[in-house]
Amino acid sequence: MIGPVGSYRELGVQDHLCWVHGDRRDYRPRLSDFFRDGLKRGLRVAYLGSEDAGELRELLGRVVDTGTLLPREAVRVISFEEFYGAAEPVDPAAVIKRYDAATQEALADGYRGLRVSADVTDLVRAPERRDAFARCEILLERYSARHPLSAMCGYRRELGDAVTQFACLHAAVSAGLTPFQVFACDDGAVGLFGEFDQACQVAFERALRRIEPAPDDPELIFDMSAVRFMDHHALLALDSYAEACQVPVLARSVPPAVLRVARLLGLEPLGHVHLGGL
Amino acid sequence: MRTGAARGHAGHFHEAGFYGSDTEFRALIVPFAEEGIAAGEPVIIGYDSRKNALVRSWLTDPSAVTFPADSNVYATPARAIAAYRRLFELHVAQGAGQIRITGELPHPGNGGRFDGWDRYEAAVNTVWQDFPVWGLCLYDTATSPTTVLDAAERTHPRIVSPSGARRANGRFQQVADFEALPPVPDPLEQTTPMIELVDRSAAEARRALVQIGGGRVAGTILDYLLLGVSEAVSNAQIHGRAPATVRIWAVPDRIVISVHDQGRGPADPLVGLVPAASNAATLGLGLWLIHQLDIDVALRHADDGFTVRLRGGTTIG
Repeated sequence: MIGPVGSYRELGVQDHLCWVHGDRRDYRPRLSDFFRDGLKRGLRVAYLGSEDAGELRELLGRVVDTGTLLPREAVRVISFEEFYGAAEPVDPAAVIKRYDAATQEALADGYRGLRVSADVTDLVRAPERRDAFARCEILLERYSARHPLSAMCGYRRELGDAVTQFACLHAAVSAGLTPFQVFACDDGAVGLFGEFDQACQVAFERALRRIEPAPDDPELIFDMSAVRFMDHHALLALDSYAEACQVPVLARSVPPAVLRVARLLGLEPLGHVHLGGL
Repeated sequence: MRTGAARGHAGHFHEAGFYGSDTEFRALIVPFAEEGIAAGEPVIIGYDSRKNALVRSWLTDPSAVTFPADSNVYATPARAIAAYRRLFELHVAQGAGQIRITGELPHPGNGGRFDGWDRYEAAVNTVWQDFPVWGLCLYDTATSPTTVLDAAERTHPRIVSPSGARRANGRFQQVADFEALPPVPDPLEQTTPMIELVDRSAAEARRALVQIGGGRVAGTILDYLLLGVSEAVSNAQIHGRAPATVRIWAVPDRIVISVHDQGRGPADPLVGLVPAASNAATLGLGLWLIHQLDIDVALRHADDGFTVRLRGGTTIG
């Protein structure tokens, strides 16, 4: 699922959703529905939180009726510390390794995949932690595009504008949260979705700064087939990003209107961004 | 090394001439071109096909003159400035000591529209200063409207007469003082717009435009209008004074958009005609960009604020 979503029901086994909520009372019904749906799909579900295992399981028991028919291992609780570590800031690569291990374990145990959710508000409350956490989101997005991991990342509205800087890094977001999204394509390309104009210029530049080519990838490909509008501010930002990137940056499926603007700007055809990557 | 009347002049030697007959036209253009050919200077001549044919017949070696084949050069003032800059760069790189250029701008007397070309005439006094250009702008007094002739007098520091006499022009206005002609109102602007948005985002303006304008004009024109309205709304919100009001009118094959705010608008008289360096954050680059598109862009400064008007479609009145 790519783009704004109205309901968790639109999600599959490889989705990465940002869900913004008011407080836990607002989040829990979504969590309950999300996990019930996952269990019906034959997925292992895991809830992450800052509490200890006992508290987490009790909390989860209140929102998901695990019943007696479900084996205990179908529903897991994981502490933030176990997945995100105690290091400050978090180590994105290490976090994704843990997600991968948990997903592989679920598959080995006979599940169709892993579905996780967490209210991560407290993990990003401090501005100095946001860059590293955003990179975690990008890696999680990349991982879920290729593996049977579906995640619903809960952010509380109290974070204010900071919410959008994380929302735009998910393939699926609650409608109206962000005008654009940076998502992962299943072939490794970075997809751009939505409208990129001056109003979201700062957010787009910040999102670009957080994207890093995957290790060992000889190039970074942007898929622009889902770009509905892109003005010259965004194009120049993309050009600057490509100029500074340590690997060649390519763009594919560039809308004709974007190419025309690039030509007017003297970026032939897209400046430091090469066309290709099909 | 520059020759002729421009000898010793640095930058753009901008001159106007007024003629009322083919004989006077010949008296103005032939010495200009022949002198340039004799000096081995690039000579560029751009008139309508009838006048170009006349000039060819008058010159001793018309093959030594460039008659630009691309009539699209004069599609918009900003594009003409950019296209000629590229041409001048090329000639200078090839060693030209002076480039002579003469032509006629679009106006109602020759079947075109003069909207924006008065600003062009004012701007080229500045924006071609980097080049050894002698620009001779000839105006036909029999066909040019009074407003066009008036603008021509206010934008050329020098005037040459068919007799060959040259004088400094006392009516010339420096670029910073130039009073541009107000854009001619579009008849649609006198009617009730299909939508009016007050203090709404550029994204909402684009959505409204797609909803109203989809299918009325070619897709590329709609794309250009989307860019234009987006840039104009962003500028109004960032640099203007609230409220920012977007109005959209649409009829088959034609769309008119106005974006108005209560601010004074950009102070730079050249805004939109030249790119403001390479800084994307500046107001100038976006306005320059939309002036390069195949849509009509007009800037209107008035007591009640600043308006960017965009028009796209096959028939622009």
